[in-house]
Amino acid sequence: MSSAIPRLATAPTAWTIAALLVAAFPHLVAMPPPVAVVILAACAWRLAAAVRSWALPPGWLRLVVSLAAIGLLLVTLGGLWGRRAATALLCLMLGMKMLELKRIRDLRLVASVALFLVAAQFLFNERLIYLVYLIASVLTVFAALQRIQQYEMGQQPVSGNTRRLLAKSAALLAAAAPVAVILFLTFPRLAEPLWGLPDAAMDDRTGLSDSMTPGSIAELQIDSSPAFRASFDQQPPPDQRYWRGPVFWDFDGNTWSRAPQPSRAPAPPVPPGDNDYSYTIQLEPHERRWMFALDYPVDTPDKARISADFQITRRHPITTLTQYSMRSNPDFVDMPELPAYWRRLALRLPEDRNPRTRKMADRLRSQFDDDRELIEHVLEWLHNEPFYYSLESAPLGRHGVDEFLFDLRVGYCEYYASAFAVLMRQAGIPARVATGYLGGHWQSGANYFLVRHSEAHAWVEVWLEGRGWTRVDPTAAVSSERIQQGLATAGGGSTGSSWLRTLQNRYDRLQRLWNSWVLNFNAERQQSMFQFAGLPNIPPAGLTILMVSMLGGAAALLFWLWMHQSRSRDPVQRAWQALVHRSRRLDLGPLAGETPAAWAKRLSADQRMGPEFITLVSDYCGIRYGSASDAAQQSRFIKASRSFPAGKQ
Amino acid sequence: MANRSVFPRLRARLFDPWLKRRIRPALPLTLAYRRIFILPTRFGFMLALLMAAMFIGSLNFNNNMGLATTFIVAAVAINSMLLAFRNINGLELRHGTALPVYAGDAIEWQLTINNPGMIRREGLTLSAASVGPPGNIPANASARLAVTLSPRPRGWHKPGRLRLETTHPLGLFRAWAWFEPDTAFLVWPAPANHAPPLPQGDGHQPMQQRNSPDDGDEFHSLRRWREGDPLHRIAWKASQRHQTLLSRDFRREQSQDISIHLSRVPAASLENRISIATAWILRARSQNMTWTLHIGARQYGPGFDDRHKHVCLRALAEL
Repeated sequence: MSSAIPRLATAPTAWTIAALLVAAFPHLVAMPPPVAVVILAACAWRLAAAVRSWALPPGWLRLVVSLAAIGLLLVTLGGLWGRRAATALLCLMLGMKMLELKRIRDLRLVASVALFLVAAQFLFNERLIYLVYLIASVLTVFAALQRIQQYEMGQQPVSGNTRRLLAKSAALLAAAAPVAVILFLTFPRLAEPLWGLPDAAMDDRTGLSDSMTPGSIAELQIDSSPAFRASFDQQPPPDQRYWRGPVFWDFDGNTWSRAPQPSRAPAPPVPPGDNDYSYTIQLEPHERRWMFALDYPVDTPDKARISADFQITRRHPITTLTQYSMRSNPDFVDMPELPAYWRRLALRLPEDRNPRTRKMADRLRSQFDDDRELIEHVLEWLHNEPFYYSLESAPLGRHGVDEFLFDLRVGYCEYYASAFAVLMRQAGIPARVATGYLGGHWQSGANYFLVRHSEAHAWVEVWLEGRGWTRVDPTAAVSSERIQQGLATAGGGSTGSSWLRTLQNRYDRLQRLWNSWVLNFNAERQQSMFQFAGLPNIPPAGLTILMVSMLGGAAALLFWLWMHQSRSRDPVQRAWQALVHRSRRLDLGPLAGETPAAWAKRLSADQRMGPEFITLVSDYCGIRYGSASDAAQQSRFIKASRSFPAGKQ
Repeated sequence: MANRSVFPRLRARLFDPWLKRRIRPALPLTLAYRRIFILPTRFGFMLALLMAAMFIGSLNFNNNMGLATTFIVAAVAINSMLLAFRNINGLELRHGTALPVYAGDAIEWQLTINNPGMIRREGLTLSAASVGPPGNIPANASARLAVTLSPRPRGWHKPGRLRLETTHPLGLFRAWAWFEPDTAFLVWPAPANHAPPLPQGDGHQPMQQRNSPDDGDEFHSLRRWREGDPLHRIAWKASQRHQTLLSRDFRREQSQDISIHLSRVPAASLENRISIATAWILRARSQNMTWTLHIGARQYGPGFDDRHKHVCLRALAEL
């Protein structure tokens, strides 16, 4: 540390570190723990250095430590690609900045980059609870900036400074709120992004994946965060609450994956029917392209397309809350005729796998001519044999379906769907696996389904002559409650007590309102807001003018309020200021630097003031500068002051 | 600082007169709208850049919470601009002064400011070439702020254009007001470092070279013997009585008047003569002498006190 720079005092340093830690909190939780520990250690060290007046490390040591820390980040993240990695790197650099926190400008830099961390956090999560985080971090950052300013101005903090700083930054924030709201409502939004994120940057994906491997850990089923909400006028029956996501055609013996052809071909047009459901979906960002709908979607959501197997995919990954309205026709017949190519695709199986399943399929085929009877029989078999539903997963070997159907017999939906589809294909019935969500929690007061990730499901679709693709849910044959109550209860255990669940459901209604009023405010909503206000369709230029003029008005109002706030709270002083103000208008005001007594003396000859003016002023001086004054004296002065200057009438 | 222009001539011809007309900057003055200027500080510009990045990122992904964060920060920044304005608005700059100093020394110039409002003003600084120490003014009170001016040559000087500025409350914006005090302050001549000895009597010639200040004709007192005292000075009898070596001390008469004639100071240039005369005056004052200063036909003194010293130094400064 150079001798030219005085050491930073403890208090502003501590405030800055506090602001950084509050703002970085969600980032610290999300990053690899060793990296978070390094950042926390750097902050703790800097704080101790401030308290104990330790010298800061020399440049070479800082370089070594920083490089080692970046190395640690690289090793724990396995690369530096993606937004999580970028924000973790930013946090780490701020942590390393602690080692060279020397000047006031360093403190300000750290405090303001903390604001950037707050905005960056919302790229990952915009839930209502983060409003608390936003307010807390902005409050601490502005308190820290004020403390730094106090420090720069050499002010000695008085006792209770912490509370005062927080109160002042709360006041700053409250005064900023109207301007912020106007900006939020009127700033022109982009209907189309200027640039999209590459898929590789999507490092915070949740929800359904684009392949399915029975035997892998059931991560999704224990994630109780919301996937989407669907508002209905009228609830669909339970057996219609299958929300379709990715559909899998290809099976390599272990993993089901999507086939290029069906996902590329466009869906046939679905005509509106008599039993259609109309609903609005609020899709939480999951950083993939899937959008969910009930079978079979009549409309196509904006910026999305529907494939031949009725997967809805968006052009860009869904990184913000997305709301869309859908209409579904459950009576539509999907592919009454199955083209030969599709049949081949839906029957393809890897050779020499699962011999016992093949044997069973051959036996069944010889037993039943009719596909439907065969399916019925298999479902009954699943129901009667000792199959169990469990989220416990066991890795499957080369003949995975054999192992599951004849030995293991314990698993969750992916096992059943995979085994059932393989059995069907062996028996010569075209089959595919569909994944998505099943059911959801009906929020009766607010008329919407809350669908959580834990309600992820996999089922099978078989192609039947005359009925087209038909949904079969083999898991339902094992655990029928699943269909009725959703997966969470059927899975049991992992979801916590019922009162907690109730509380979560209540809270979710608030979240949904937040979503629809705040998060879903976009270019389209902005336009309809203006239309609602009676304004015509405003082009961006007009919008800018509107915004600027509204801001100008708000600023003028604030300014006016402030100017008037500077008026005295002391009634005597207020009366005096009013008197001075009235006199100024008659060009009788005190000159700059003139004391009240001198002013009175100068004007004693003036007709408009009169000789009593001197008495009034000496009363004022007595009240203000005298030893004590009683209330009667004060009110007498206030009353008397109103008749001056006399020339005003 | 905003007043540093890249085009000094253009500044002198266009900017300065314009500013002067606009702000009518003589003291006393009350700060109001037209006198107050506001610009972002370096930190303000940095935060603006950061906000632009936050804004573009959030707008692109239609990330409403990110936008809300940006807008809140922007609104707080705008408000802090108004607060910076309010922090100096309405202040009454009363009068300024600087205590006289010698040429070449730094000048501390002080301004008395009155705060007629009911809010406390925080973090105010005066600045000229340098920035003075920050100060606060409580509600309905006056306070003094100081700024160090760069050294000036002897004579009367006005401090030039000064600024009262503040970056309160967040350091994002600097609000300032220019003013140009009319009152001048005095800079005394710099005393010569190696001035010749004081002139004797009427100042025609320098006093005789003396070995020590206690040299003189008249017996003054006895004192303890010091190394270097000549043998003939030792008071042998007294030393014997006191069992220690004592020396006789001689001193010139205290009441002796000296005259300092500027024209007779042994130096070539006027400035050198002035600075030697200054040094002599200071020396005479410190030795409690009575002196008279003659500048041309004018005569100052005789006198011996600080008041006389100030009169003489001022006369020399004004030459």
